[in-house]
Amino acid sequence: MSNVITASNLTLGYENDEEIIKNANFSIKKGDFVFITGPSGSGKSTLLKSFYGNLSPEAGSLTVGGLDMIEIKKKDLQELRSHLGIVFQDYKLINEWTVEKNVVLPLWIAGYSADVQSTQAKRLLHHVKLSGKEEKFPLELSGGEQQRVGVARALAKNPFLILADEPTGNLDEYSSNVIWDLMENACHQLDTTVVVVTHRIPMVFNIPYRHFTIDENGSVYEVH
Amino acid sequence: MKFIKTHISLIFPLVAILLGLEFFIVFDRTTDSFEKSLQNGYSMMVVSKDDMSIDDFRSWDTHIERVQELEKSKILERLKMGSSGSKQKQFEASLPNFYSLKLDGYLTIEELDSVKMNLQKSSNILSIETFQSAYQSKYELFSFIKFAFQAFIIFMTIIGFFLIVKQMEVWNFLHAQRMKVMEIFGASLYLRSKVLINMAIIDAVISAVLTSGIFYLFQNSWVKGSQMEILKDNVASVFRYTDVFILLLMAIIIVMIAVFLVVINIREE
Repeated sequence: MSNVITASNLTLGYENDEEIIKNANFSIKKGDFVFITGPSGSGKSTLLKSFYGNLSPEAGSLTVGGLDMIEIKKKDLQELRSHLGIVFQDYKLINEWTVEKNVVLPLWIAGYSADVQSTQAKRLLHHVKLSGKEEKFPLELSGGEQQRVGVARALAKNPFLILADEPTGNLDEYSSNVIWDLMENACHQLDTTVVVVTHRIPMVFNIPYRHFTIDENGSVYEVH
Repeated sequence: MKFIKTHISLIFPLVAILLGLEFFIVFDRTTDSFEKSLQNGYSMMVVSKDDMSIDDFRSWDTHIERVQELEKSKILERLKMGSSGSKQKQFEASLPNFYSLKLDGYLTIEELDSVKMNLQKSSNILSIETFQSAYQSKYELFSFIKFAFQAFIIFMTIIGFFLIVKQMEVWNFLHAQRMKVMEIFGASLYLRSKVLINMAIIDAVISAVLTSGIFYLFQNSWVKGSQMEILKDNVASVFRYTDVFILLLMAIIIVMIAVFLVVINIREE
């Protein structure tokens, strides 16, 4: 199976700051479900940011979807991102837009027709158990509901790679279960690659997964 | 209400700037024709030993546009010489030549002095009268009004720009979150800025129409009834329909620069 992400001697850091991830070597294949864990400040989110081009590697190499993330051009990065599904701990919803408009953002960017957007929004909101909340605004929803909107948005365009940063961080059990179910299904049924940064791997997880951990020195290991 | 709130904060400074621009255009047009009438009403007097042509004068100073020789007989007539015909002819022959010189513009006092000095270099020229005191008082009044008006326009424009900078900060606050999220999901720069661009263009159009409307009313009410010579003679110069396009173009340029500066300053976290 082809690699979706390949890191070779990957070193990451912020400007005028020490290196956070040091000489990481790993590859993630199509259809893999990967958990990345590690203590606070170890660089989990930093590593995830580099996967969607928010942070450029300082050294080594990183390819995502076959694109070199060091040499990547702006246009190619936009194209890559339009095929990713990204979920954030703080949801990153657009508060002045309705739930439906937030969910179909990737489709709107890609220029899909209003009909397709509307149909897809209804289907996704049904999956995340938010049917009937299409016209609500994010701030009218609970944290768990907002995160489910975020997950629906990530799934809207059937991405080849889902990146999730602490998706269930502050959520109740019900919302967390809905989110894990959706991600499991995306991986199992659609062969989507899923990379999740989390503090804790869920107790009940129904599909095989890989587990990477980052230690205090910024080294990345595969646990199993 | 929300629409008004969203738009008024840009429309207000934009109208201030456009009013300044339109005042500048109108003032330039009307003062230009007033300057021409002052220029036409002014001439300097030169007395020379021998005949001089326009080229002779121009060889000393290029500001000289037209020359009119004053007839000696008329000068003598004015002097009311009660002498016989032969004596008058003898006297007329001994008189120098008198010329009235028109200049190519309404010159500054310094420029006028320079013209006088240049002409004095000619050994043929006996005397020059610039009527400087009358010229100076008109010129100074005119310059003062021009300066006061331009200072007011510049002041208005500066205030307008400060308000636009303030509005840019507001835009940054209101649109940054949406634009950052859209960038993460791969939206192009245009798509991210589309809402802001549309809003800014609407504001630019409203501002240009408002400013044009103000000047249209100004022209058709106050200016038409005005007794001010400078305005009475230039009613058509106060507002022209082509000004709408100038104002619209200027408004769009200003808002596009503002949008561009906001957009490039919004960076992904």
